[in-house]
Amino acid sequence: MTQTDILSSEQEDLRLLRESVRTLFERAGGSDRARQLRDAGGGFDPEMVRELAEAGVFGVAVPEDQGGLGMGLAAGGVIAEEVGRVIAPEPVVSTIGLSLGLLRRLCPDHPKMAQLIGGEISLAVAWQERGPDGAPADATCRYADGKLTGGKAWVVGAIGSHGFLVVAEQDDGPVLVLAEADAQGLVIDKRTQADGSSLGELSFSGTPAAELASSGAVLTALAEAVADATALAAAELVGLSERAFEITLDYIKTREQFDKPIGSFQVIQHRAVDLNVMCEVAQAGVREALAQMDSETDPKVRAPIASRAKARAVTAAKKITRDAIQLHGAVGYTDEFDIGLYLNRALVLSAWLGDDAYHRRIWFETREAEGAAQ
Amino acid sequence: MTDWNAMTDAEFRKEVRQFFEAEYPEELRHLPHRPKFAEIEHWHRKLHAKGWVAPAWPAEFGGMGLNAAKLLIFYEEQQRWGVNRGRDMGVQMVGPLIIKFGTQEQKDYWLPRILTCEDIWCQGYSEPGAGSDLANLRTRADIDGDDFVINGQKIWTTMAHDATHIFMLVRTDPEAPKKQQGISFVLAPMDQPGVEVRTITTLSGETEFCEVFFDDARTPRENLVGELNKGWTMAKALLSFERIFIGSPSLAQNALGQLESFARGRGAFDDPVFRDRFAQAALDVEDHAALYARFADQLKRGETLGADVSMLKIWVTECFQRITELMIEAAGPDGGSIGPLQVGNINVDVLASFYKARPTTIYGGSNEIQRNILSKAVLGLPG
Repeated sequence: MTQTDILSSEQEDLRLLRESVRTLFERAGGSDRARQLRDAGGGFDPEMVRELAEAGVFGVAVPEDQGGLGMGLAAGGVIAEEVGRVIAPEPVVSTIGLSLGLLRRLCPDHPKMAQLIGGEISLAVAWQERGPDGAPADATCRYADGKLTGGKAWVVGAIGSHGFLVVAEQDDGPVLVLAEADAQGLVIDKRTQADGSSLGELSFSGTPAAELASSGAVLTALAEAVADATALAAAELVGLSERAFEITLDYIKTREQFDKPIGSFQVIQHRAVDLNVMCEVAQAGVREALAQMDSETDPKVRAPIASRAKARAVTAAKKITRDAIQLHGAVGYTDEFDIGLYLNRALVLSAWLGDDAYHRRIWFETREAEGAAQ
Repeated sequence: MTDWNAMTDAEFRKEVRQFFEAEYPEELRHLPHRPKFAEIEHWHRKLHAKGWVAPAWPAEFGGMGLNAAKLLIFYEEQQRWGVNRGRDMGVQMVGPLIIKFGTQEQKDYWLPRILTCEDIWCQGYSEPGAGSDLANLRTRADIDGDDFVINGQKIWTTMAHDATHIFMLVRTDPEAPKKQQGISFVLAPMDQPGVEVRTITTLSGETEFCEVFFDDARTPRENLVGELNKGWTMAKALLSFERIFIGSPSLAQNALGQLESFARGRGAFDDPVFRDRFAQAALDVEDHAALYARFADQLKRGETLGADVSMLKIWVTECFQRITELMIEAAGPDGGSIGPLQVGNINVDVLASFYKARPTTIYGGSNEIQRNILSKAVLGLPG
């Protein structure tokens, strides 16, 4: 087999995966479904979660001997791009990256693994905390005698999940525990986001939870899972940007002013080209980053690659969705046109796990630290 | 004859790298200006002895016969080591045209002389009224007996003052219904009374561009390449590989390396604003390289590149400019000073980089023209 053959056969795998996920979403109604779910209160569709599971979506990056497809993050990125294209509200990236990212590294034999991969349940990961000033702060949520006390913030997929994977502190260090959604003493405060989805702010008062893993391994696995989710969120933004650009391109080809399609005016054309170039650069950069993360095992190397991906994807998605509104003109500012759904989803995905400025800083600091170490 | 294409990419890269690193004169690395032939003649002789003057030409004409994948590697290594391309208009432009459209006599006569640099070529395309709108060119070549008689003016002719021959697009049928028709491709000697060369001093004080005036200059009719009045299509056919080459990441990558050393030496990284702008530029270069690799893979699979390859040029040249602008910022009060600035044990010529970056968005089809092409050919926008 020549190098070219290997290359194209790998691409063939990913192409088939992309087609099957795309078909699934399109049959379910594409981006119209996102609007309907938003208008119905902002949750996701558990039936869609099961269908995605049947297509192998959640276990895509889980090794085969742990019940997954073992296709790596590059394949996860293909799925995330398709999720982004139809702005699907299901917790796909958070499940592949965070929930399964944590479990497969810390307790691959746990029965919840199979249930997550099978789409029977969803679990939200609660790892960040809010300080008194409202900004992210160090973890203080305590776990002792089988019970949780304290709070967690910015929990994605909290509403509708069957339980929470909580990273907490116990006397001898960090611990990962599982709290059921209906556990005693658990209060979920819902914060609605721009796209109609919500973040959970959790508070625990003596909430019973089962220990899954402890010691320093928890934080290492968390950092790895966060890096995975960060890079996958970047891929979701790439898919979102591509579709937002396509919608805009269609619009400027059909909208007429001064008796011509506005896309025949050079100023509009050049802006459209710049968005297209931005989109292609983001796609190439993010796909390359995901492939690199698959071939790297050192967490210190993988983290800045994820930052590179997210920095690029956020910059591109912000620019593309905002310029898309401008190119739509006044109707772009109405809820009736789909382009606004893309802007709103881009706002949410940009804020999640760090925006472009944040990730450029992380990328630069890691690079400096490496330089100093050499 | 070595079959370079039979080597693995890694083997070939190693071979090329070793040759450049061992043989290329240190003092000629990353030359900030275009050299006259005399300055690089010694290197050209080494390259010629090795048989590496024309990497893209088929072996039967004295080239290396590299396929697209190997060719990219060759150029990547050339740029990585800062190897000057030399006076390569003959190799890059005239040779391929003669190979594709020339007669047997033309091949036998001109190709060996290109390889030895016995003839040094310059490109006569642009005119004062034909820049982005190149088809508007007016320099005429009228048949007179066995000769063409040439009258008119070319401009931005790179290194015409150090060339023996010019290949040019000329109007041979002023009555043609469309301006793209009636253009022919002819070769002409520079050393004759009807040709006058004047150098143009650029913003950076260099004199690598020239104006060339033709006043009843003559060239034999046998110096017509291809069919009469078909020059436009032929010239366009040459550009496909050029279009990825002009969008390669190397210029921006080299400038970024310089910026980093300079900024570090000057303590510019103490400023968080500068850090962020550096990170932006560095990631712009890195992600561009990923996109470049996608197009390069297309070439390696034997596919023809589409018009979308133009996006590489737009992105990388604008990025190159931002990097050189950051260099000026990092220089602070030295930002207006000509000549190298010493930082630690390196010298950085901040303004030379800045000036070098300016024409990149103008030449090879200005970035505005590239955007026009992308909007119509790739995005399908009307009008």
